[in-house]
Amino acid sequence: MNEPAGIVFDIQRTALHDGPGIRTTVFLKGCHLRCCWCHNPESWEFKPQQNFGREMNVAQVMAVVRRDVRYYARSGGGLTVSGGEPTAQFDFCLALLTAARRDGIHTCLDTGGYAPIGDLLALLPMVDLFLWDYKATGAELHEKLTGVSPELILDNFDTLYHHGAKIRLRCPLVPAVNDSPEHFAAIRRLRRQYPRLDGVDLLPYHASAAGKYDALNLPRPAFATPIPEQEALWKSQLAAND
Amino acid sequence: MKTGLFTAAYQRLANNRPAERELACLRIQFPAILLPIQAGDLLAGRIEYPPVGFSPEPGGLGYYCQDGQSEFWRHESTAAKTRAACPAWVNEVLPSDEWTTTSGMAFPLYRMGGTQLDYGKLLRLGVPGLRAEIESRKAATTDHQARELYTAMSGALDLLADCCQHYARQSPELAPVLAKLTTRPPVTLQEAMQLMWLYALLSGTWNYGRMDVYLGPFLCRDLDTGVLTEAEARALIEALWKLMKAYDNQFNNRVIIGGRGRPDEAVADRFAFLALDATRTLRLNQPQLTLRFYEGQNPELMERALTILGEGVTFPLLYNDDVNIPAVRRAFNVSESEAEQYLPYGCGEYILNHRSVGSPNGVVNLLKCLEVALHNGVDPVTGKQVGPRTGDPAGFRSFHDVWRAYTTQLERCITALARQERVEYEVTGATAPFLFLSMLYDDCLETGRGIFDGGVRYLGGTLETYGNTNTADSLLAIRELVFERGEVTLPELIAACDSDFRDDPDLRRQLVAAPKYGNDDPAADDMARRVHEHVCRFTRDQAEKVGLHSYLVVIINNWANTLFGRTTAASADGRHAGQPMANANNPSPGMDRQGTTAFLNSLVQLDPSLHAGAVQNMKFSRSQFAQHRPQTSALLDVYFASGGAQAMITVVNRADLEAALREPEKWGHLMVRVGGFSARFIDLPPDVQQEILARTLNE
Repeated sequence: MNEPAGIVFDIQRTALHDGPGIRTTVFLKGCHLRCCWCHNPESWEFKPQQNFGREMNVAQVMAVVRRDVRYYARSGGGLTVSGGEPTAQFDFCLALLTAARRDGIHTCLDTGGYAPIGDLLALLPMVDLFLWDYKATGAELHEKLTGVSPELILDNFDTLYHHGAKIRLRCPLVPAVNDSPEHFAAIRRLRRQYPRLDGVDLLPYHASAAGKYDALNLPRPAFATPIPEQEALWKSQLAAND
Repeated sequence: MKTGLFTAAYQRLANNRPAERELACLRIQFPAILLPIQAGDLLAGRIEYPPVGFSPEPGGLGYYCQDGQSEFWRHESTAAKTRAACPAWVNEVLPSDEWTTTSGMAFPLYRMGGTQLDYGKLLRLGVPGLRAEIESRKAATTDHQARELYTAMSGALDLLADCCQHYARQSPELAPVLAKLTTRPPVTLQEAMQLMWLYALLSGTWNYGRMDVYLGPFLCRDLDTGVLTEAEARALIEALWKLMKAYDNQFNNRVIIGGRGRPDEAVADRFAFLALDATRTLRLNQPQLTLRFYEGQNPELMERALTILGEGVTFPLLYNDDVNIPAVRRAFNVSESEAEQYLPYGCGEYILNHRSVGSPNGVVNLLKCLEVALHNGVDPVTGKQVGPRTGDPAGFRSFHDVWRAYTTQLERCITALARQERVEYEVTGATAPFLFLSMLYDDCLETGRGIFDGGVRYLGGTLETYGNTNTADSLLAIRELVFERGEVTLPELIAACDSDFRDDPDLRRQLVAAPKYGNDDPAADDMARRVHEHVCRFTRDQAEKVGLHSYLVVIINNWANTLFGRTTAASADGRHAGQPMANANNPSPGMDRQGTTAFLNSLVQLDPSLHAGAVQNMKFSRSQFAQHRPQTSALLDVYFASGGAQAMITVVNRADLEAALREPEKWGHLMVRVGGFSARFIDLPPDVQQEILARTLNE
């Protein structure tokens, strides 16, 4: 059997921000969205560009992932498949998660949720925790900021949730772009509506990707990095009672 | 102290009465070089070594003269006598003593470093009890040399009593404590600390052994009987820490807490916690508080340690007994119970507590050995033929030829350094018995011999190696680019290094891109292991040939990686000429790019049972330590469980380091671990600062 190969643009070991514990995050290339704050613009295209992206098969990726199994075991960590939109390389993504599961390695899928529901349901048995982006509130704004409308994403979320998926919301926040009071109200509403949610992470915008935009001849996003007080305010908005 | 009096005392007594002569010289030296008690001192004991004097190490080796001006001492100092006693072939291989400024492969060092005294015995017996033991041994022997030694030891204890009285006259508050020390064993913590400290100062040791073991019982008795409150006890420990800081040797001043082989752990732990607290409060770069630990020890000690490290204190230094005890057992060829008493001293060398010596008396620059090997025995920095002609590299047919040339250069250096070490012990041992050391070292009283004159049970030596990582990375780059991929010829590569890659930046990029140790890369780690095992095994095998109990590599660092880097040409790992080499066992600065787990996986590849200590520096960001403490603990847990022997942790933010470069006056509190020592960042030379900045920050 031919093991599916994929286009991987980075493998990050000792990842501490992509799920619980110490993890190895595998970044798959290609995304249907164009979020205006994206910090991985090199992930947009499906084909390798410049130094970004190379073809790897599952065995090659797992050879790297396996080197840190002792750290996963000790810290409650594991493998995170991220992107780009990792589900867009469906066969490879599924094979990778399956291989990790076979080795007893905890798995996270970091997804925007913009995928055929059949694909997500097929991945579900191999995913211990979904890291699910919730990017903007309101169809018009969502489409403006990400390039796609949110209906499919929200429907997928609901379906997966009711199929027993463990999901953690991840909310990228850019000051004055997607941090409206309605947005926080919507996040709080989701939390009430889906009480088994694993939690909500706020991801403040960071202008660290400027160099990559330059290298790709893309215009840099022109957002300010939020000040610490802003982050504190967001946290309090998330914690507010309705 | 009057130098003339000291020299006269030395001249008055012939070389064949070394014990008597040493005592006479010590009497000139003490209490003359003891500095006055200062306001706020809760213990007496400050010292400043004079230009001419006697010590195992702090002032210089044995009878030393620092300025080189005296015609008499130019030939009569113990260092000069050592040099003169070395065979001609040794002096040819080791032509210079100026290792910090001169280009060269190998250099001797002159000192009797790292001795660790039996303070437990001192505090148990007190001065009168120790004197009684010496007198009874004297009465029981007819051996002339032993009797002379015991007599001088008795005189040394009189001198210690004189020094107590000297300080008692200065301070009405401390006088009662000091007076008791001459008449009975210490009872209170303050008395015990005072006796230990004064004795240490007079002995010239500046590493203080398992302090929680020997002071724990005094602390607990005082706390439990209400003699001291915990705050008062902590104040005493802080007072001792300040005196150690005033003694000021950032490369030594080790205090050990924790670990296996402590008779009463609960008692020792109470002292250990207060010691950690004192270090946390004072935030000084000395003493170098060192925590030994093992599976099963009170976990709160490690928890407290990580909290303090997270605050950027750089202490305690962490030593994993579960790895080190078996390693020491094999490296030193001793029993398990003896190995349990290993102590890291100085920058990270191991010794057996008051039972072995292992003075680091040689330094070798592996990368310079490779450089000389690639120039047929010529040092390209000086143009001189400094080693054997190991072949014109243009004729090297395989990597094996490179390896053979490198090992030939290196092995010649090690052979000479081993012999030099033995000669240094012989000359030093014949020159003086080192009375204060010998009284508290196993077997010296029993045999009636001075510590370096047949007294110590295990006379060993250590050799400091530098440039290990750069050598391994360079060798791998040569193998891959020249012999496997044929991208460049060896002469072309050497020419590029000689010109510091001036005309060939592309080649340098290829060299930098070659696999590097520190990335969990099998090829790079294999080469690091090969270099490591070769130098360690060859060194170890010299012990028997020169008559030492052990002769072992130490992979430590003061700032020799930076100093040696200055005189080392550009290397095949892409390092520029004059740049620092990697620190101790660590990856080259900035070359470990695969994350902390990969870095740690590489570190544990190098077998610790082949050497007598290596230091692992790790730099973590403050946010990682604060916000990801469970993951950080897990990283360290797995590292230690996988064979990690040691960790020296700096928690710092890159922005802080950069700000400190711009505005040093505002960053006096910023402490970093350089290698085997800690320092205020702003006090370091610019190239050392840059090296620290360039190290990978794990975040």
